[in-house]
Amino acid sequence: MGQERFADVVERFTNGYAGAVAAAAQASPETVKQWQQEFERNFKRLQNLHAMLTNPVQPQTGQTPREVVYKKNKSRLYRYASARTHRTPLLFVPNLGISRPYIFDLLPNGSFIEYMTHQGFDFYLLDWGVFGPEDDDLTVEHCVTRILPRMTREVLESSGAPDLTVLGYCMGAPVAASFVASHPEVPVRNFINMAGPIDFSKVGLFGLWLSKDRFNVDRFVDTLGSIPADLVKAGFKLIKPTMDLSTNLNLWWNLWNDTYVESFQALNKWANEYVAFPGEFFRQWVRDYYQENKLYRGELVMGGRRVDLRSITCPVFVVGAKEDYIAPPECVRALMDAVGSRDKEYVELPGGHISLIAGRGAAAHCWPKVSSWLGPRS
Amino acid sequence: MADQPAATQLFDIWKRQLEESTQAWTRLLGQQTPQAPPLDPAAFWRPVLNQGLETWARMFAQTPASPEMLTQWKQFLDQWIDAWSRALGQTMGTEQFAKLINQQLDAMLAAQAPGRKMFDQQVEQMLQTFNLPSRAQLTGVAKQIVELEDRIERLEDKLGAVLRRLEAREPR
Repeated sequence: MGQERFADVVERFTNGYAGAVAAAAQASPETVKQWQQEFERNFKRLQNLHAMLTNPVQPQTGQTPREVVYKKNKSRLYRYASARTHRTPLLFVPNLGISRPYIFDLLPNGSFIEYMTHQGFDFYLLDWGVFGPEDDDLTVEHCVTRILPRMTREVLESSGAPDLTVLGYCMGAPVAASFVASHPEVPVRNFINMAGPIDFSKVGLFGLWLSKDRFNVDRFVDTLGSIPADLVKAGFKLIKPTMDLSTNLNLWWNLWNDTYVESFQALNKWANEYVAFPGEFFRQWVRDYYQENKLYRGELVMGGRRVDLRSITCPVFVVGAKEDYIAPPECVRALMDAVGSRDKEYVELPGGHISLIAGRGAAAHCWPKVSSWLGPRS
Repeated sequence: MADQPAATQLFDIWKRQLEESTQAWTRLLGQQTPQAPPLDPAAFWRPVLNQGLETWARMFAQTPASPEMLTQWKQFLDQWIDAWSRALGQTMGTEQFAKLINQQLDAMLAAQAPGRKMFDQQVEQMLQTFNLPSRAQLTGVAKQIVELEDRIERLEDKLGAVLRRLEAREPR
């Protein structure tokens, strides 16, 4: 019964479509011209689709010149070439696990790092690296008390500057905030939070799924050791199940456009390259941050020091994205009330989690905001 | 173009039905007991899908024949996906769904743990037979290297601190 109805609907649809095409045959020259253009686009679509399937091009990501300043286990500290017109170096702290950091330097003319270096910032990127089973004992505490202090020291030494700006993106923001709040001796001149959750009671779907009374993180880590990349991928796909559908629909729609196809290939490569979590890192991340909200409640202790967000007194800039379902704006904005800074500003921009860091929207709305806030303070 | 508001109205009705159906589906999920037969999503959602396609077909039949029709079709699909996304978001944001997803995870772990242990033991035995290092042994060596690097770094830090103190004491 259901199937018959479905067939009827499809038939009616095809009849309607055929009627529309037949009517087009008697249409005005303008309409005929539009149809011709549409056919050309379709031809180009097929050409590009054929090329993508038969001769896939490996997109050249991360092209801004850089040098390795320091190596620590899998982590690397990169310094990017720039005119360095601003005196204060900028340390960018991204997420650990989940994805690779080349999204921040995706393609020429579409790269956050390239943009910031063109603005004269002395840009450093902390690439946490891809961890293996030998790193399963690595914790958030180790990152906050061992890796970040070392990396900030290297930034100060190699730049020769007396202080630095710390910019955390996504999970990098609460981790960097934990570091800044527990290391008052480190000369942090400015702190920027881009799409980083702070108040985990407002963190949306992940907060609900990972809550203490439902998700047994100990059992999870004890059984799996590290959290495999495939499971990380499944979690992120589940949070927005229609994402692949709309991505592919938009690809088909824009497949005639070579520039779109090039950006799509780069972004698609990144979007499908997931990175595993070290087991103990995941345990502490879920328990202390998601389940117990210790950072926001001021109950976090790392390396014997209390992590008190109120001890952050430097200028703070917070950027949230309106349609961010990974770090909803209200949980990002929470940093504004938690810090002790007087000079603080919050902006909420259109788009989602990734729209702040990659794509045309980021270049138009987000990057100039970050640069214009940071420039006079550097 | 005069038909456009009618088409939008049709689509709005369908969207509303989609939202109501989602709420009904969520309620059904919540009422599920382990003894009850599993719900059939296809049987439940097919009428909703049919209605959407009918709306789509009516819109096509009413639209003037020009390539703009394709743009309208794309917009329709975007809205459709968006409506589904919101409906799914509503479902996934419920206690029932969170419970269900964690039940699935627990089942996966329960199934995986003994199998994984057995597999690891068998692989280890086989490698031992061929006098080859096991994964655990290689991981152990890698861990030692990581620890060694950490220790060297701590020594470097201490040495740096001593040198800085000495430099500060030196008469100029």
